Amino acid sequence: MEHEKRQIVKVINDIDELFTLVDISLNRNISFHHHLRNGDYVINYVLNKYLKEKVQGINLFPSAIFPSYTSILELIKNKQINNITTNYLNGPVAEYISNNGLEGKLTMQTHGGRARSIIEGKNKIDIAFIAAPYVNSYGDSVGYLGKNKCGSLGYSIPDSVHAKIKVLVTDNLVDLDIESPEIDGSNIDYILLVDEIGDRQGIVSGTTEVTKNPIGVKIAKNTSLLLHELGAIKHGFSFQSGAGGVSLRVTKDVRDIMIKENIKASFFSGGITKYHVDMLEEGLVEKLYDVQCFDLEAIESLSRNKMHIPISASRYANPTDESQIIKDLDIVILGATEIDYNFNVNVTTDSHQTLIGGSGGHSDTASESKICVIVSPLIKGRIPVIKERVTTITTLGKNIDCLVTERGIAINPLRKDLIKKLKNSKLKIVTIEELSRIAYKFTNIPQDIVKHDKIIGEVEDRTFEIIDNIYQK
Amino acid sequence: MSRSYLFIPGNTPSMIQNLDVFESDAVIIDFEDSVTSYDKDSARILIKNFLKKYSYKDIDLYIRINSYDSLYFLEDVKATKDLDINGYVLPKASVKAIEELNKLSSKAIIPIIESPMALLEAKEIADQENVTALLLGAEDYTKELGINRTLLGTEILYARSFIAIVARAYNIDSIDTPYTNKEDEVGLKEDSLNAKNLGFTSKSSIHPNQVDIINQVFSPSKEEITEAKRIVKKALDNTKGAFSLDGKMIDLPIIEKAKNLLDKAKKYNM
Repeated sequence: MEHEKRQIVKVINDIDELFTLVDISLNRNISFHHHLRNGDYVINYVLNKYLKEKVQGINLFPSAIFPSYTSILELIKNKQINNITTNYLNGPVAEYISNNGLEGKLTMQTHGGRARSIIEGKNKIDIAFIAAPYVNSYGDSVGYLGKNKCGSLGYSIPDSVHAKIKVLVTDNLVDLDIESPEIDGSNIDYILLVDEIGDRQGIVSGTTEVTKNPIGVKIAKNTSLLLHELGAIKHGFSFQSGAGGVSLRVTKDVRDIMIKENIKASFFSGGITKYHVDMLEEGLVEKLYDVQCFDLEAIESLSRNKMHIPISASRYANPTDESQIIKDLDIVILGATEIDYNFNVNVTTDSHQTLIGGSGGHSDTASESKICVIVSPLIKGRIPVIKERVTTITTLGKNIDCLVTERGIAINPLRKDLIKKLKNSKLKIVTIEELSRIAYKFTNIPQDIVKHDKIIGEVEDRTFEIIDNIYQK
Repeated sequence: MSRSYLFIPGNTPSMIQNLDVFESDAVIIDFEDSVTSYDKDSARILIKNFLKKYSYKDIDLYIRINSYDSLYFLEDVKATKDLDINGYVLPKASVKAIEELNKLSSKAIIPIIESPMALLEAKEIADQENVTALLLGAEDYTKELGINRTLLGTEILYARSFIAIVARAYNIDSIDTPYTNKEDEVGLKEDSLNAKNLGFTSKSSIHPNQVDIINQVFSPSKEEITEAKRIVKKALDNTKGAFSLDGKMIDLPIIEKAKNLLDKAKKYNM
């Protein structure tokens, strides 16, 4: 009965039709989410229209850029894009920007920072194009149902509320009520129907596996022992680990400790995998707060388990959101491309200044968690992970507590409490400088090749502070 | 008194560089089966240069050279005899091969018993100069017998038992054959316990991820350490040769065993 009062959202069958209703040349600040990852068809579908119409001065706000988003590269080469604001990018677009820059600048935000910017009007979005796997006529939507389901739609929620024009792009319009929709249809202006929003193979990457690499296994073992010695694995603790092989191995080792010592966690947050789902179903953790699903098992769990809860990027990591989940986060396990003597971490560029990623939730979770652990091999290929100064700061060292490598553990001197707790530890606890010297025994000191001639972008923390510049290669 | 012996290919720099990371008490750098014929020289060059630059005081280092009847035996020994290693692991061991190796080097030798003939010769092999341990090579052993390996390992029960007995009789270490399924942690633990219960002092492995379990199995347990401490303490307080503890008779061999166990626990920081 209640739905009878609700407004049916206008359905559009073609993007050309949309732009008869909306002036494309006046709506050049556009956003996308990246939940369909490398299987996304929506971004290229929409941006091809901007290419065709030769729209100039585009400002792009995708939550991330993946290698398949080829239309972005064409728009950059045509000088149609002015600025890009994103949280993560890799592939050809990243390589091109590293070498050539943009007409304007690249701004690398965090997941929480992006949500905050959109909500507070710092990122002014004209049109949010939201790929939505399951939509009803009222514009309600969830991501965990439909033929091209992707799981949580967390990163698109702020866009769906605060963009000037909100367009759901779907291949699955249903005539059914949706209980607890992730996207509230009352905010939606148009539903754009397409044949396919994506390719299933690319949406679910299938690369989330626990590492078997012996160095990774050793790092994970050191990490779980460290957390255990710190007394951090205790009843009611909360935990986040990424989908990387080492992080997942830490999760497995933590699970073993939890089973052995009969410990139950309160929640896991962030990107969710089948390993987190297994632990929920084993009763080892009470809730999963899911901002993105990494595999099919996580997507299916989201659709059947009430304790597996999809959350928006704002609820996940926006520092001004009162219900922010990660403010209660005890432990986060993160990676690093580089780390320096001040514990600053780079996951944005490689040592050759090529853009290879970005913060995502790295800086957010490091800032909020009680213990932030960086896991990394001491030497990657022939290059030590520790540098005197990282090529690009993604996460400030003041928020990083521990570096765990296969050859020892360094604790940030700012965390005197942790150092005190580990005073009599049998673990190999050394300074970060000592770890660096161990690496240099094998590699010598690599020549610094970083250029600082031309700034092409900046790294913006969730506080809106610019914490580093990104330089052209 | 090593618990674990880890084989690492001699021609793989990424593994060699990390040989001290995997927590194996001993590492066996392999020049034999894991190095193809066209890579034998590069393995020798790599290891020679590496061990001239880096030394390891906390782990025992061995090189598995190629067998005496191979084309590479002499070159392997010549290239490595001046390096700071604990000794050689000698495949396809025989008394004759050990004698020849002893003519070239005075380093410790761990012969691999991997043929029925070598098993029959095990006592003589154990009695050779510089021999410090016997290693069972079950893959080649069963191949020569024309039988298949099983996870249960009943086909090598006699060989295992005999080697453990011979090694103990000659007061040298016994090293069990590797468990070849590197994914199966439960099977590895069971296999290691079987070997330990037959009298093996240690076990070899072919993958670094197996070392942890092997070290756990071949380490004294907390209960064993507590018991050994009580025995040694009571022995110190006791003037008689034998005494009773919890209703059990404790005599000299049991006291010596307890002391050995405590030495092992101390060595492994337990």
